[in-house]
Amino acid sequence: MIFWVAAGIIYLSEVDGWQVYAKPIEQVKSWYESIKQDFRQAGYVQASGNPLWNTVSGTEGAVSGADGMFVSSGDRLQQVGAEAPDTGVQDPMPDAAESGTPESSQTGEINAPESGIPDAAGAGASHSSEPPDNRGTGGHDSPEPGMPGGWEAGDGPETDGAMGWEAQNVLDYQSVEDDYFGDAVFIGDSRTVGMFEYGGLEETAAFYAAKGLTIYKLFDSEIVTVAGQKKKITVEQALSEHSYAKIYLMVGINEMGTGTVETFAAAYKEAVDHLLELQPDAIIYIQGIIKVTSERSQQGDYINNEGIEARNEAISQLADNERVFYLDVNPAICDETGGMNPIYTFDGVHLKAQYIDLWKGFLKQHAILR
Amino acid sequence: MIFSSIEFLLCFLPLFLLLYAVTPKYMKNAILLSGSLVFYAFGEPEYLWLLMVSTLINYFLGLHLARGAKLKKGKKKKQKKKGLERNRKILLALSVAGNIGVLAVFKSGIGAGGLPMGISFYTFRILSYLFDVYRGEETKETSFLRLATYVTMFPQLLSGPIASYGEVREALHEREFSANSIQAGLKVFTMGLVFKVLLADRLGLLWREVQVTGFESISTPLAWIAAIAYSMKLYFDFYGYSLMAVGLGQMLGFSLPSNFLNPYMASSVRIFYRRWHITLGRWFSRYVYIPLGGNRKGEWRTLGNLLCVWLLTALWHGSTVNFLIWGIMLWALIVMERQLTRLGMGKFVSRGVLRALPHLYLWLVIPISWMCFAITDLSQLGIYLGRMSGMTEGIYVNADDWKNAVMNYGVLLLAGGFACTPALEKLFDKWKDRLPGMLLLIALFWLCVWRLQVEGQNPFMYLNF
Repeated sequence: MIFWVAAGIIYLSEVDGWQVYAKPIEQVKSWYESIKQDFRQAGYVQASGNPLWNTVSGTEGAVSGADGMFVSSGDRLQQVGAEAPDTGVQDPMPDAAESGTPESSQTGEINAPESGIPDAAGAGASHSSEPPDNRGTGGHDSPEPGMPGGWEAGDGPETDGAMGWEAQNVLDYQSVEDDYFGDAVFIGDSRTVGMFEYGGLEETAAFYAAKGLTIYKLFDSEIVTVAGQKKKITVEQALSEHSYAKIYLMVGINEMGTGTVETFAAAYKEAVDHLLELQPDAIIYIQGIIKVTSERSQQGDYINNEGIEARNEAISQLADNERVFYLDVNPAICDETGGMNPIYTFDGVHLKAQYIDLWKGFLKQHAILR
Repeated sequence: MIFSSIEFLLCFLPLFLLLYAVTPKYMKNAILLSGSLVFYAFGEPEYLWLLMVSTLINYFLGLHLARGAKLKKGKKKKQKKKGLERNRKILLALSVAGNIGVLAVFKSGIGAGGLPMGISFYTFRILSYLFDVYRGEETKETSFLRLATYVTMFPQLLSGPIASYGEVREALHEREFSANSIQAGLKVFTMGLVFKVLLADRLGLLWREVQVTGFESISTPLAWIAAIAYSMKLYFDFYGYSLMAVGLGQMLGFSLPSNFLNPYMASSVRIFYRRWHITLGRWFSRYVYIPLGGNRKGEWRTLGNLLCVWLLTALWHGSTVNFLIWGIMLWALIVMERQLTRLGMGKFVSRGVLRALPHLYLWLVIPISWMCFAITDLSQLGIYLGRMSGMTEGIYVNADDWKNAVMNYGVLLLAGGFACTPALEKLFDKWKDRLPGMLLLIALFWLCVWRLQVEGQNPFMYLNF
């Protein structure tokens, strides 16, 4: 008995610092706060002359009482929203027509649907304002060659906050075969691991990929196997020893819970700059983060498509279309709800092996030839 | 709240034990009942009322069913009480229909909002009490407090074991609660926790990986490895939970029945299901199989009775078609085994190397049956079984995927295989009261807590992508 208790106390005070109890205490505190708030709300409603505020029957008093309750729960909702990691996008907009086109043409318009989540359960539900009219995007269908990033200029009042419009870069993308990847390296997280395992390129291209890889630790992660050597080397080391003509980068889903769009974008920019430094002759494809299914997006944790869109928007800004190109595979794998098509995935995050080909096919159709 | 969670291990359990310890003896049932309701409310506040109402109604039903039940045991006064007997029958039919009805409504998904936690288990516990009282095998419980404590007792509330009332009756009246019982219970509990957190949850990841990849794209060896991993995961998940329940019961002074007895070491499907989820099998045998006539009315009736039991077992697990396939498959295997035994197969395989044959057969068919259990989508199930047999052509298969699985999970699979044998239990019994053994258990306990802390209850949720 004594052993158990002693071990527990030692563990809790030395290893854990009693943090185990921090969460429940916080929760009790928040319950207490919300109850207090409810009471205050009740007091307010009572003061305005509705003693029946807490009855649920259909009297007049009950209706306004219910309003009071609603306001208080709304407050709580907003608090939660404020604590959650910054997702950037506030106004989800239904955009079924444009995000639902998986086919990408040879000339290579990159459709980055920034909207398209009619989010019922998330923060969007509490918005009372009308979503801005989406048909306004029609004006951007005309290609603006040579003006990457310039598409934002003409949006006028319709662009609010972090909302972005469709990126319409018309670049000279070519269709290529697998051998195009012969001098390419894929750097990325578990999604790129999937490409490695099931994309059929394991013999052709190099893969510096590992589960959980992030932009923050991109170069320091010891994930590259060297033939005949047990210890793995870092990406930094590998990139200084080998040179590649193309670099495909796909990271970002693991970073969703950390930092803001801005800090993420800054880290991403730094990484791209460093890549340019290490591989001066390479084309760098920065790939938009693959979205999750709408169902997964609404699960309520930090992984949601609004956040992914905001970060993709930030990533896309880093493309100079001379050496750095932004590719977004999402239109090829998303359904009309704007999330990954549920048919293509089991967990809502990773493409099933047989659908990796959609991604690979997209890359093969969006190749820059020099 | 589930046992393998930080809230339970470090908040609820210590607090409850403290309260329970300082409560005077005559109040212990009351505190256990309240604790159990709090425990339930943490997981499923919206259906707490259902549990309470169901317990209350069934308490009165039990009282009524008991009227005249004693007559059966004692002298023959049948004639006089014919009317009463008929009423009891009607009442029993009504109460069974009511309890099963509620369960069926929720199982079939008509009751929106999902299945109330533990409803299958507490319904079966209540029914076993009603049947026992009706048959006169058990005297009625006049104290509502004691009956409610039995039904809701938190160690067995959510996932069993389905202890019959007779097994806990005495303990409900008078039970020992001491530091020694807590310590002994904690050891058993720790074993269960280790099975759940360090084996089941880890092995579950392999199964998860295969699902993420998609069944179309796994190699045949990987299909088998994953099926074996799932079989182990299911076992350690449930066995671990049952052990934790038994350990908790022991801490509180109850001796709950054990639910598993090295099932994977069995030599036939028949024996396997006598050692797997024992209390459920026992329930069906007592209240369905034997009342239907068991094996005493000829071979054909026996087969029919078995089919009935297996169909009900399948329904109890879920209402989708795959469970039906699962149940019928097991029934067919058991029928086949019966016929082989009649032909004298038993003697044939009892000698020398041949003794391994029944085990190999079991290890072949059980993983297949678990796949029918696990995969609810029929076309997916077809694909999986096709990949296992190699009959379905794979799409984008990475032929070496199984090597990766062996590399990543080999040690775990070996450890799991070892834990399936009786050897581990023997080691546990030998070392649990010695200092090194206790230290190891302590270390394992905190290792589990640490793991739970790191990844939350759900090992899939906090993984990296």
